[in-house]
Amino acid sequence: MMDVKRRYVIPGDVIATGPLRPEQNVYQDGDRMISTCVGISEIFENSVKVIPLTGGYMPKTNDLVIGKVIGTSPLSWEFDINSCFVGFLPAQDVFGRDYSPTKDELRQRLDIGDLVATRIANFDRSRDPLLTVQDRDLGKIESGELVEISPSKVPRLIGKRGSMIQTIEMATKAIITIGQNGWIVISCDDSEGLLKAVEAVKMIDALAHTPNLTERVKSMLGVPDGENNDTIND
Amino acid sequence: MVKTMTQLMTEDGIRCDGRRLDELRNISIKVGVLKNADGSAYIEFGKNKILAGVFGPRDVHPKHMANPDSGILRCRYHMSPFSVTERKNPAPSRREIEISKVIKEALQPAVILKDYPRTVIDVFIEVLQADGGSRCAALDAAAVALADAGIPMRDLVSACAAGKVADRIVLDVNNEEDQEGQADMPVALMPNIGKVTLLQLDGMLKPEEFKTCMQTALVGCKRVYEVQRKALMEKYFQNGEQ
Amino acid sequence: MNSQILDQLKRDKILDLLKTGKRIDGRTLDEQRPLIIETGVIPKANGSARVKLGNTEIITGVKIQPDKPFPDLGDKGILICTAEILPLADPNAEPGPPNEEVIELARVVDRGIRETEMIDLHQLVLIEDKSVIGMFIDSSVIDSGGNLFDACSYASVAGILSCTVPKWEIKDDAPVLVEGITSKPPIKTLPVSVTMARIGDYIIVDPTKDEESCMDGRITITTNSDGNICAVQKGGSDGFTAEQLLQCAETALTVGRKIRKQFEQLM
Repeated sequence: MMDVKRRYVIPGDVIATGPLRPEQNVYQDGDRMISTCVGISEIFENSVKVIPLTGGYMPKTNDLVIGKVIGTSPLSWEFDINSCFVGFLPAQDVFGRDYSPTKDELRQRLDIGDLVATRIANFDRSRDPLLTVQDRDLGKIESGELVEISPSKVPRLIGKRGSMIQTIEMATKAIITIGQNGWIVISCDDSEGLLKAVEAVKMIDALAHTPNLTERVKSMLGVPDGENNDTIND
Repeated sequence: MVKTMTQLMTEDGIRCDGRRLDELRNISIKVGVLKNADGSAYIEFGKNKILAGVFGPRDVHPKHMANPDSGILRCRYHMSPFSVTERKNPAPSRREIEISKVIKEALQPAVILKDYPRTVIDVFIEVLQADGGSRCAALDAAAVALADAGIPMRDLVSACAAGKVADRIVLDVNNEEDQEGQADMPVALMPNIGKVTLLQLDGMLKPEEFKTCMQTALVGCKRVYEVQRKALMEKYFQNGEQ
Repeated sequence: MNSQILDQLKRDKILDLLKTGKRIDGRTLDEQRPLIIETGVIPKANGSARVKLGNTEIITGVKIQPDKPFPDLGDKGILICTAEILPLADPNAEPGPPNEEVIELARVVDRGIRETEMIDLHQLVLIEDKSVIGMFIDSSVIDSGGNLFDACSYASVAGILSCTVPKWEIKDDAPVLVEGITSKPPIKTLPVSVTMARIGDYIIVDPTKDEESCMDGRITITTNSDGNICAVQKGGSDGFTAEQLLQCAETALTVGRKIRKQFEQLM
């Protein structure tokens, strides 16, 4: 497996020159690969990308996001998905193709203020993102606390192969649903566990790119070190 | 009270604030100083104290201003009533409106707006204390605030002014030099791409002097870039070690 | 319309907590957020202050310069307090001429300082009926986190306490600045403003932005060093009972005394 070369970059930094393929947050000027944001650049095989450390959520097809219902229009619900774009869930995604629900029926299924786990079915920037709740595990979230973190910190919250999120869930007995848009829902029967889980998530948001983060989170949760040592970069 | 040429500069080329011809005033930049704004920066450039805040990309109101193919950039440069020697009326003056436009156009080539159709990126700049070269300092803070907000940019924008004082070309004109000197030239540069995105001149320069003045300002821009870079590195990468 | 429904959900959550005597940030009902005051932040101005009240941040500058007196008030100097919510302070703040909310904020801050007679305006006269000293106290909200009334008032008071008044002498019937001589402003009393919000039957001190968005009513009461009530402003779309208002006046005096001690340390 080839090495991944990493570097801290700011907008305008030349990451590399040569025949490489520019991916997220990288543009090409002649043969120079240039970063468009503050983040960590990665050169892997023959492509270059930058993982941003800041910025709002930019919808991507297939992302799982937590959305909040903010309104209805004829035959669809409107969602706040923590982005400059509003998400739309078509009524037929829930009621089927042949049924045209009234506004009241829409509100009965999903009301304003409801939190919903949903997937981005399609987004191409020419219009607002289209959502779906058709998979298992998607749909209205009945109970739980919403915590907002920066979308760029989501990979750190998940951890390598899910190690970080598993550590938190096991230590607190909480169930945590992670939206790629930085919205996280935490449910826990035990109020103490809920508080600890919320604190752990907020800690990762504040300290995502500092060293020893995993140890600090484990220490806060009271988990002995030595368990679950897979992490992205420590 | 008019300062004579000798008071603006000594025979040996020491300026009224003790600087040499090619010396920049002290600059410090803090990133991410506001809770509400999506991105922000506070700069002290000599005695200038300027705050920049960025919101966006966000919905455009009124809707007819939205561009279906690209985001739009809006910029407001404003001076606090207490920022200048004689208290200034809070309503925007013609000077502030012109500077707002010039700063917006200096940032536009750097911001990748096509990624955010139908949205607006708002840049708000407030000068809390002014002391010569405030539009350059404002631009330096605004560029950093945009990066802090995660707005994709082709490059940063770095600005600095040069001028002619007591018949000599100097770097980074301060307030007295701006008022009593012979020329003031603010310049902004995208440092890695090498494009000049802001250029103004107030005063009179011979063609040779114009060339030297611009080159001096560009050197200043590159030095300012190092300060902007260090400020972003410090906020996001702690001590900046790789 | 939809944002009203979202606000209702927020309000329900806040009320549930209030029933247990707590607020979302863990404070008790009559507790203020931590108040940090820094003066002299704008050296070029005659006085200045930076105030942080929780997440709300204000910068105030004081400019002192000769001016013409108001007609019929030729024996008094001029004192004008303004306030502005900068567009970088809040995603909903729009640049442009001040709206009714901002104008109310400025006028309430001004009345709080004027009605308590914080400054002895009679001592700010250069030539009676012709030339007086004008003090402009301009507050800019740079980060909006709730309770702008108190934050702007504290910043204005701190700016005045820390300012230096230049000296002018009269030559040929006009004021001329005397370099190098300054004096302290003529201060008679220390006004302290305390703002409370009513949510349901509960009165809370120093509301956050979220608490303000679902409050039923708001009241700002300014007291002076002698324990007198000098300026009151009720706001919000619903009312208070007379009992609640008297309770608020008591609270304003109690909380006001604590804040006044912080101001005294600046003198």
